[in-house]
Amino acid sequence: MAKPRRRLQPLKSAPKTGSNFVPVYFDHNATTPLDPRVLEAMMPVLKGPHGNASSLHRFGRAARDAVERARQQLADLIGCQPQQITWTSGGTEANNLAIKGVADVQPGGRVLYGATEHPAVMEAAESLCARGRAVEVIAVDRHGVLDWSAFAAQLASAPVRLIALMRANNETGVLQDVARAAQMAHEVGALILVDAVQAAGKIALDFSALDADLMSLSSHKLYGPKGIGALVKRAEVDLSPLHHGGAQERGLRGGTENVAAIVGFGAAAALAASEWAARAEHTLQLRDRLEQAVQTIPGATIFGAGVERLPNTLQFGLAGYEGEALLMQLDRRGFGVSSGSACASGKGEPSHVLLAMGYPRDVAYGAIRVSLGHANTADEIDRFVAVLRELVVAGHP
Amino acid sequence: MIYLDHAATTPLNASVRAAMLPWLDDVDGYGNPASDHVLGRRARAAVESARAQVAALIGAEAGEIVWTSGATEANNLALKGALEFRGLKGAHVVSSRIEHKAVLDTCRYLETQGTRVTYLTPDRGGRISVEQVMAALQPDTALVSLMWVNNETGVINPVVELAPLLRARGVLFHVDAVQAAGKLAIDLSQLPIDLLSLSAHKLYGPKGVGALFVRKRPRARLAPQIHGGGHEQGMRSGTLATHQIVGMGAACALAQSQVDADANQQHGLRERLWVRLQTLSRIHRNGAAVDCAPHILNVSFEGVDGEALRASLPGLAVSSGSACSSATREPSYVLRALGRDDELAGASLRLSPGRSTTADQVDRAADEIIAMVHRLRAVSPTWVGEADGEGAAVLIPFAAADNVYAYPAPVWAAFGALRHAGVLPAGDDVVCSRAGSPAAHAQLELSARCAPDGTIQAARFRAYGCPTTIAVGEWLASQIEVGFEAGKIPDTARDLRSALEIGEDKAHCALMGEDVLRALFDQIQRIRK
Repeated sequence: MAKPRRRLQPLKSAPKTGSNFVPVYFDHNATTPLDPRVLEAMMPVLKGPHGNASSLHRFGRAARDAVERARQQLADLIGCQPQQITWTSGGTEANNLAIKGVADVQPGGRVLYGATEHPAVMEAAESLCARGRAVEVIAVDRHGVLDWSAFAAQLASAPVRLIALMRANNETGVLQDVARAAQMAHEVGALILVDAVQAAGKIALDFSALDADLMSLSSHKLYGPKGIGALVKRAEVDLSPLHHGGAQERGLRGGTENVAAIVGFGAAAALAASEWAARAEHTLQLRDRLEQAVQTIPGATIFGAGVERLPNTLQFGLAGYEGEALLMQLDRRGFGVSSGSACASGKGEPSHVLLAMGYPRDVAYGAIRVSLGHANTADEIDRFVAVLRELVVAGHP
Repeated sequence: MIYLDHAATTPLNASVRAAMLPWLDDVDGYGNPASDHVLGRRARAAVESARAQVAALIGAEAGEIVWTSGATEANNLALKGALEFRGLKGAHVVSSRIEHKAVLDTCRYLETQGTRVTYLTPDRGGRISVEQVMAALQPDTALVSLMWVNNETGVINPVVELAPLLRARGVLFHVDAVQAAGKLAIDLSQLPIDLLSLSAHKLYGPKGVGALFVRKRPRARLAPQIHGGGHEQGMRSGTLATHQIVGMGAACALAQSQVDADANQQHGLRERLWVRLQTLSRIHRNGAAVDCAPHILNVSFEGVDGEALRASLPGLAVSSGSACSSATREPSYVLRALGRDDELAGASLRLSPGRSTTADQVDRAADEIIAMVHRLRAVSPTWVGEADGEGAAVLIPFAAADNVYAYPAPVWAAFGALRHAGVLPAGDDVVCSRAGSPAAHAQLELSARCAPDGTIQAARFRAYGCPTTIAVGEWLASQIEVGFEAGKIPDTARDLRSALEIGEDKAHCALMGEDVLRALFDQIQRIRK
């Protein structure tokens, strides 16, 4: 039985709207601003020469060289070989390519995925059911951490072909020990896909050290452009393409290369490689400041508290409040936050992540996710907390 | 550098770029269009306004446009999505042999999944006929996929005539309109096409974005090929790249406003190029000259090797065959489908002028092509046409910087300065030998004037084939002219490979060099006897 929700009262101060108004942006897990240095790297491509990277003439070769330089930059960030990287249109395509690509050419064995995975992984995996594949969910505990004993039992019960697990959750920021999962996967001859979309650029990430078989990445979560991602793959892992046509990306992904975005992704990766630790430290300070303040609000729950999380992410619920209504008020007061995944927003569904962690629907409905970036300040945190308190006080009967 | 490769990709239009830049900032343009806050709503509004611009170009409704990462994805989604949605794995599909790889490779994949595909062969003009398509239909034909304009020849397929006929038969009709959009008028409000693929970067928009038109009434339904998040009415998930989508919208709006002007300008340049090239003998226009899109001219040149011709034109950005498959260096499958043999299909150039192309550029490009065709024909032992301009350009060396296809430096140097090209006038003291590599369609010829003791006093070569073949001829002639011991013949292939730094892929050229040298010395032995 859901508890009755408290209504939010109108605020005294005027809402901040208008076409030129720039909000405080606390939604970096949805997307990040493009770093001006990344744009600078992209501009020569956007201004021409305009080669098709598959063309053999001079313009085509210049485009090809730029694509390969970016591949090296990304490889340096995540500790893989450049030839292990396949460009995709984003993290969603990378996850789809990995899951469907493996399932298509490697028959037999179940596909497992974590209960708190991103919809790109969940839905791609579930689509395999229609193709007759057995698909199972791996449970998580109340903190969002993999239930290791249940996982071990699942691995032992019947053959497994592929396991898809995220390194860091997009809503709660909770980290999974994917290296441990990889070891367990390999012991039963299964492959592991690590969804590192939220982890890359925020925490240390090393493809070979994790011993992953596949890893998905997205550019626009690390201050790069939208519309570009990558799938990292060990050479021995056999995949069928998702987009047939043309010999691009060694036949694994047809389509004219998005040169400007690839160059942007490379530049963003190079910046992340040198700056991620400083960014992590900065956002962690702000996150802890926010977390301490939120804890003092009556009825507040911090999701994933007490377990290892991304340094920039805080997801919390306020008992009795509806997240969407709070978000709307925060938006009107100039704070861009989200309830969870941008992809699922607007659907009126509570977070599947929180439900998987065992929270009731009304708590899950009340979730607010704050995801910080390196340009956020302590002052912004303090202003946010003040507005939040004002809303909560006003909302009390 | 003269860019005549607009069918491969176009420069990003400056006003399109200007429209994109506000969505590439770190101020207020970066929101995720799926986010429910002010930055998200701003991005979403921009995405929706671009959707209307794309729809307007093709006479569709905004809700019928699904964003993709490009035309390849759009084609994949159309074909796989339509068949999967209908659960028609074993159904029948009609397509053609001249489709883009994105459609052909998808069809081949579908065949591995149990789909039966009929690939229609075009007539010699490169066109698929209405009758052919209708005759190929079977009771369980679920889908016909045909390109509006072929990307290599520019030939227009009769999709306008086919659409109502296929609708009447209840067969879903997918059209790859990548090369038609912005070149021909498209009005889907009048034309019952169900699915239509578009690409932004072929019409002066950004790379990495395309769209699939999915008709609402009657509704063409598709199973998504990229799952997760339910974007694009569930048909295509993934965060929308606002700047790219805005760019595609702006590019479509621009194309709509000047489609006639663009077509006239490019048609004029294309015909100017063709008229000028016709000063060459024995060249062939690939694809019918009527009913073709305005921006593509495809020409095959007899008597020259395709690779050598391309290498000789470093100042021209042109395609030999489709850019997407050119890395494989196989003769164009499209030209072979319309009846060209391997040699003519290989010795072809696709020249595609665009908005910024000038008449002067076209003239200079034609002059350059003419000169280089003359040069290659002049050194060919098999060319028996009129000696048009023979030898004129043979001695003009190529600059090292022009080695854009990265041949080994010694190969490029020899190919670029053909000091020993030609044939010595026949006489009692002149010997001549030939060798060939049928697989590579290559020929080498050596001629030498010998003193009575067999010493070579002068040597010349002629060659037909790739730059390496021609370089081998030049190197051999220059070496034997300054003295050569017959005893070294068994090492010739090895010496050639080391002197010219010939890799494994061109080892056959060196072997051909050894063959022709051995044959020459056999002749010399005979003379001395």
